Amino acid sequence: MENMQAVNSFVAAYLKKKGFKEAEQLLEDLHSKDSAAPIDFHNDPDLAKFIHHFSQSEDEVARYQDGYSKLRSWTYSSLDLYKHELLRVLYPVFIHSFMDLVAKGHLQEARTFFNAFHEDHQLMHSRDLQKLEGVLSQSHLEEMEFARSLRQNKVNVKICQYSYDLLLQYLHKTQSSAMLGVINEHINFQATSGQPGSISDDIEVVTLIGSCQDAANQINQKEIHWGLLEDSLEERSEKEGGLLSDSEKTEGENKEGDAEESKKRSAEGGKQGSSTKKLKKDKAVNATAKSTRLEAKTTSSAPRVKPELTLPIMSTEVEQSILEDLRNRVQLSSIALPSVSFYTFLDTHNGLNCSSISHDGSLVAGGFSDSSLKVWDTAKLGQQTGGATLQGENDSTSSEHVVRPNGVKRSYTLFQGHSGPVYSATFSPLGDFILSSSADTTIRLWSTKLNANLVCYKGHNYPVWDVQFSPVGHYFASASHDRTARIWAMDRIQPLRVMAGHLSDVDCVQWHANCNYIATGSSDRTVRLWDVQSGECVRIFIGHRSMILSLAMSPDGRYMASGDEDGTIMTWDLSSGRCVTPLMGHTSCVWTLAFSCEGTLLASGSADCTVKLWDVTTSTKAPRNEEKSGNPNRLRSLKTLPTKSTPVYSLQFSRRNLLFAAGVLSKKV
Amino acid sequence: MSIVAKETIEVIAQSIGINNLSDDAALSLAPDVEYRMREIMQEAIKCMRHSRRTILTTDDVDGALNLRNVEPVYGFTSGGPLQFKRAIGHRGLFYIDDRDVDLKEVIEAPLPKAPLDTGVACHWLAIEGVQPAIPENAPVGVIAAPSNGNTYEQKDELPVDIKLPVKHVLSRELQLYFDKISELTLRKSDSALFKEALVSLATDSGLHPLVPYFTFFVADEVSRGLNDYSLLFALMRVVWSLLQNPHIHIEPYLHQLMPSVVTCLVSKKLGNRIADNHWELRDFTAKLVALICKRFGHVYNTLQTRLTKTLLNALLDPKRALTQHYGAIQGLAALGPNVVRLLILPNLEPYLRLLEPELLLEKQKNEMKRYEAWRVYGALLRAAGQGIYERLKIFPPLPSPPGHTIWKSKEKVVTAVPNKRKASMEPLEDEPALKKIATDGPIGSSASVTTLASSGENDAGQPSSSEKKTGNRVGKDGQKLKKSAILNQIWKDDLNSGHTLVTLLELLGEGILSFIPSPEMSLFL
Repeated sequence: MENMQAVNSFVAAYLKKKGFKEAEQLLEDLHSKDSAAPIDFHNDPDLAKFIHHFSQSEDEVARYQDGYSKLRSWTYSSLDLYKHELLRVLYPVFIHSFMDLVAKGHLQEARTFFNAFHEDHQLMHSRDLQKLEGVLSQSHLEEMEFARSLRQNKVNVKICQYSYDLLLQYLHKTQSSAMLGVINEHINFQATSGQPGSISDDIEVVTLIGSCQDAANQINQKEIHWGLLEDSLEERSEKEGGLLSDSEKTEGENKEGDAEESKKRSAEGGKQGSSTKKLKKDKAVNATAKSTRLEAKTTSSAPRVKPELTLPIMSTEVEQSILEDLRNRVQLSSIALPSVSFYTFLDTHNGLNCSSISHDGSLVAGGFSDSSLKVWDTAKLGQQTGGATLQGENDSTSSEHVVRPNGVKRSYTLFQGHSGPVYSATFSPLGDFILSSSADTTIRLWSTKLNANLVCYKGHNYPVWDVQFSPVGHYFASASHDRTARIWAMDRIQPLRVMAGHLSDVDCVQWHANCNYIATGSSDRTVRLWDVQSGECVRIFIGHRSMILSLAMSPDGRYMASGDEDGTIMTWDLSSGRCVTPLMGHTSCVWTLAFSCEGTLLASGSADCTVKLWDVTTSTKAPRNEEKSGNPNRLRSLKTLPTKSTPVYSLQFSRRNLLFAAGVLSKKV
Repeated sequence: MSIVAKETIEVIAQSIGINNLSDDAALSLAPDVEYRMREIMQEAIKCMRHSRRTILTTDDVDGALNLRNVEPVYGFTSGGPLQFKRAIGHRGLFYIDDRDVDLKEVIEAPLPKAPLDTGVACHWLAIEGVQPAIPENAPVGVIAAPSNGNTYEQKDELPVDIKLPVKHVLSRELQLYFDKISELTLRKSDSALFKEALVSLATDSGLHPLVPYFTFFVADEVSRGLNDYSLLFALMRVVWSLLQNPHIHIEPYLHQLMPSVVTCLVSKKLGNRIADNHWELRDFTAKLVALICKRFGHVYNTLQTRLTKTLLNALLDPKRALTQHYGAIQGLAALGPNVVRLLILPNLEPYLRLLEPELLLEKQKNEMKRYEAWRVYGALLRAAGQGIYERLKIFPPLPSPPGHTIWKSKEKVVTAVPNKRKASMEPLEDEPALKKIATDGPIGSSASVTTLASSGENDAGQPSSSEKKTGNRVGKDGQKLKKSAILNQIWKDDLNSGHTLVTLLELLGEGILSFIPSPEMSLFL
């Protein structure tokens, strides 16, 4: 079959060149009959090039321009039902035509071509277009990662059979060899039988990623274990809750209810993918026994996984305090919204780059563009409201915070050591260490007890955009402009793992709840999930249309949320690698995301000066079909909390489910 | 073909000393320049995003250049986003306003204040999902009550940090009450109902939530209704009633209330008709001011000083109208004898010299002006008289009989007043305006008497008036001599107060001898 086609197309091209119109027409008719199956004569690159060569010999500049404009007007006048599918084809044709023109040295013509038609795609692909607009010579094509990957790979376009036929008929009828060449060379059609897809499916199609989508799909087939760590504190507290005597019944019941719900939720996920999960038998038995006691319906427990890293050992006092926090946790849901305590940075003179809040909210750190890192003890803020209300939050951990000899008059502790803007800061889970990353390519570890710099980690070659402590401490991950993410341990000055694969800067990084994975968001508009142990990429999440700025992992380990430059938040199912639902609402960059401790709420903070609360349970539990019907967004956005011209830089749920937020008061210009 | 024109390249080349750049080179450089620029911008945008900003700054561009191992462009660093200006006549052409700076000026300029250090403030953005209405939070966009649009507008203009109860806290009943009261004040201030309303304002408990609204209402209406005498009077009565109400905690709103009150005291023009008795309004407001100072002086220790300063400024500015002077004098007088002694008396002499020409028939032809001048004169007399009266009354070394005599003489004076008033009224009956003032002018006894007497004399235009006055003065001069003798004796007893009195007397001797018929004199005599 393939041979046949190759011959066919070769003959067709030959006939065309020689001007044997009738014969060619005949052949094409024959051909279009055959094309019920997806045409794959493009599978033979040599041949495609050969055909291409023919077209080159003629005045192809005009052909491109002409061909494209004809194709465009044809598409726009096509049947409504199939129009949007055909429109999808237009964009790859457009950019490849443009790049072809550039590659052949018709720079002037390329520019006019671009200017003539780029407005069609401005809405959907404005950022790509901005990048491409600057491509003005062959060398730029080579140099620019984006253009290179576009040219090396094919675009997958999923269209229905009929649209495909329509397109082929048109191409053959008009004999626009240039367009045919482009389409053959760069587009990989996946014709599906049945009705044309709806526009909402677009999301996968619109992003042209460098690597082939197939590769991404292949990667996404890999198995991951998103279950929580076995023998974690939460689990222990659950057990404790089960054993609780009547004296603490009310509290216990709360806790059990919580545990039960999370179990239910994760059980649903478990049904899909838990067959492959490593389930430790005794744990399962233990859990089932307990859950039957709680409620007969809950049959299996949340999948538990073994840690792949050696985890640091927690002292018993710390454990006790965490358990205490877990017991006192406020139950949040769509009807019980959290309290939000807001820390406003004042008089930063445009210098604050990032902020971070410790898990108990007792410390707030700010990273500044003047290379300094400043840490405030919120108990000493001197504000009656803040101090008094936070006391309850603090008392359990106050033992950890040694009263530091504060000889200086400053209200904060100043950490100096970096030699470039500090782009990120993160507190260790217990609040005794801070990590900061800077444009000077280093990461520094500071002790909040000694108020001193302990270690300087050098490894990245370019500014380090983000650094995050793992949920258990000791390990941390960093993301850099050098397109890698790295895993470090506090006691090693060299990285343990280097995750390479992103096509552009790695902008943010986040640990999975079980510490076996990290997620990275990048300027290439993808989110990747990496296995910490092997350093392999195990998931690629495609769908964002701009740079990814923030990531959050749900505490049950099943979902991930990512926020981008446009204000879109997407929630992803880790096991399937699919987008569960996009959450629209923000109008500007989503700087930060946080899941509540039991995973029912997602909080997002944005440059549009709002904190939004989203209901995760309805958005994830709702069957996917429902997405198309009605107004799902309204259901999901629970509450918008506007601040007073204060962009929200960071959010943090305390272990008791109090939400802390931080931002800079910015004067409106 | 590229955005960067060939000419641009040539200009840049010349600026760095390459004069013979060929056209081809420029042509092929142009697209590359554009590409590099875009590359830099792309990196700069990344830097901007990681600095959590949405506006690109020069720092970001420097950061991007650093990333590409290019020397940063020096000299453009600024704390914030640059302010671009649009070039006139060219759409889409912007420039930075880069003015020439005189180095000398920069060197000689005082050091700017050190910028404030970064701080962190904490507040509740939400409590269990509900945003508390605190100043730190963005204003809650609740349904505005349709009624009091005035106050709402006012509220918007004010700086945001005023701690007001949020609008929606107001109950329906209170809103109705407020509407009713403001309606009455605006339209029917002479009805009996308004009097009832004032009583209600003065006594009802539970009006506190309305206080800010009334404050705004008063401030708003005063600033708008300076021409409406009856409205102003009604507003002042409202303030008076509010001050009387024991259940209201009006302190926090005083600073908003005071300007309107003081306006009613020392404004140049209150009411637009001649018939409007703005003197009465000023007198009433003076009492109001005194009341406020008495009640809140201890809480706001700057209240009185600020007030007296304002009033004194009004008094001592010769450019101000006489009506303003009158208000200032009344206000100061109402604040008590100490204020009079300390502030009015030292300025008495120069002021009187200023007033003199206005008082005299020959110099001031405008009757209205002259009348005003006499009003001021009367107020001054009264103020000074009260001051000295209080002074003398508190004198310790009074012999035992005086107590009795004081009363007696006081009675005499009091009884004398109506007589005199009547007497003075008789010749004035043909002048309705003056008559009105004479009848309802509740100005202090002695002052009113003298004022009326003298004004009557003046108006009548009798040549004997000045004679009478001088005669009076002579007689009083004699009294004064005796008085000073006695006072000198007292001065020996009580050095301080005696000294004050002597200075007082010296001043008084200059011009206000007509004041003498005060009870103390008879006592000392």
